[in-house]
Amino acid sequence: MDFLWHKVSEKEWEGIRVEAERVMNNFSKKLERVKGNLVESFFGEEVFEREEGKVPCAEIDREVMFGNAPKKNDDSIIAERGGW
Amino acid sequence: MTTLERVKECLGKIKKENCKINALLEIRPEGEILKEAEEIDKKIKRGRAGKLAGKIIVVKANINVKGMNISCASKVLEDYKAPYDASVIERIEKEDGLIIGIANMDEFAAGFSGETSAFGPVKNPVDKTLITGGSSSGSAAAVAVGFCDMALGSDTGGSIRNPASICGVVGLKPSYGSVSRYGLIDLSMSLDQIGPLAKNVKDVNLLFDVIKGKDERDATSRECPAQPPQSKRGEIIVGILDLDCLGVDERIKELINRKVEEISSKNGWKTKEVNIENIDLAVETYYPLVYVEFFSATRRFDGRRYGKKIEDAAGPEVLRRVLGGGEITKAEHEGRYYNSAIRVKEFIRAEFSKNFRSVDCIVSPVLPRLPWKIGEKISVEEGYAMDVLTIPSNLAGNCSISVPVGKIDGIPVGIQIICDKFEEEKLLGIARAFEGD
Repeated sequence: MDFLWHKVSEKEWEGIRVEAERVMNNFSKKLERVKGNLVESFFGEEVFEREEGKVPCAEIDREVMFGNAPKKNDDSIIAERGGW
Repeated sequence: MTTLERVKECLGKIKKENCKINALLEIRPEGEILKEAEEIDKKIKRGRAGKLAGKIIVVKANINVKGMNISCASKVLEDYKAPYDASVIERIEKEDGLIIGIANMDEFAAGFSGETSAFGPVKNPVDKTLITGGSSSGSAAAVAVGFCDMALGSDTGGSIRNPASICGVVGLKPSYGSVSRYGLIDLSMSLDQIGPLAKNVKDVNLLFDVIKGKDERDATSRECPAQPPQSKRGEIIVGILDLDCLGVDERIKELINRKVEEISSKNGWKTKEVNIENIDLAVETYYPLVYVEFFSATRRFDGRRYGKKIEDAAGPEVLRRVLGGGEITKAEHEGRYYNSAIRVKEFIRAEFSKNFRSVDCIVSPVLPRLPWKIGEKISVEEGYAMDVLTIPSNLAGNCSISVPVGKIDGIPVGIQIICDKFEEEKLLGIARAFEGD
């Protein structure tokens, strides 16, 4: 296989799913070699607390934001049940 | 050279060369760019310009720049216009950096070769039949050919350092937390970092200084503690990574070893061999984390907000990660795949911490092999192994940099220098010594 982008056919779709599962299973099996546990400590060094109301919001262009959605009202995106 | 003259030079090159290498996806309107350049020049004359005045910058297509098409090089977001600026963009603009366009990349940063873009692969400026590396393929190629002075990329498992090495430029992956990711369209939030690419270490340092630091909108970000650029021991001890079982091309090993010996002896540095236990499992640890976090992150691309559902419009590599992530997060597996990877990640992180007690930096090649031809057939595992030497830094949260140190068959080769978390200042100092001649 190559890594070039192309539109994926329905037949190829299932092959990709099976292959992804195979790769994950192989990887997972190899990780079993490492025994024991270490406590995750990377985030233990600093307390992350925000002061309510003091976090500056980004300036969001609402017109551009709603422009990205295919179906919308004036100020809301329409999401019909079963439509996605 | 004024900013106006410089940007005209860059735009001229882009018009002539971009169709040949496909590094950039979108350029801002020329009139707008030239007007902004004139404003920056006026500020320079008045002595009121910011740190990045005169620098021409492009941004990877997964970092929001207000009003630009931030497509992540995907059909899924091909019509998406960013409604806001990422924090790094706000910081660049505040310091008068001139952003001129958006760089091509691997689709959703899911790639290591620059081939998976839905808008065509980026071609290697040195040999257009070869890959550029990825996923920040367009950013690295744009810097290499002189479309800009600096670029922003993102690095989850090597995506800045890998293309920087192949394109012969400098690329920095900051420590996890050094740079805000607010406004980055994520691949894997526990590993992603935004970082700079440029032709030299000085410019990488300059852009890093502007974008680094705590941002209230990204809870993982923090101020980098001020550190002396020198070693605490008074002399630099360079750890040379044991490359056994990592499948590194002998010619690359030899080039890197020669360079390390030369620079260490010139600067009076000591060297020491370093073994990171379980580093041979880095790829196997990384991908389950990425598959799961990417699957979770892409649930927002359901067609409601951006028009297309990711499962319908993405290419094969993105689909592999989304479908694989969906499979291994099923309730029946009870988080086995993810938890197992998190567990090994901690062992690798601890190994780095242990080794940094006795060395100042760890060096290795950036890549285990030379780039392949665009479209060449290789297996998934072979492709994933391309980042075997860069992934460990992401797993450990360290900072690391790629600096060009020579060529093999005319293709640039980079050395990777890794320092402990938040030791960017020391890292950049060591990188300057390698860049020296």
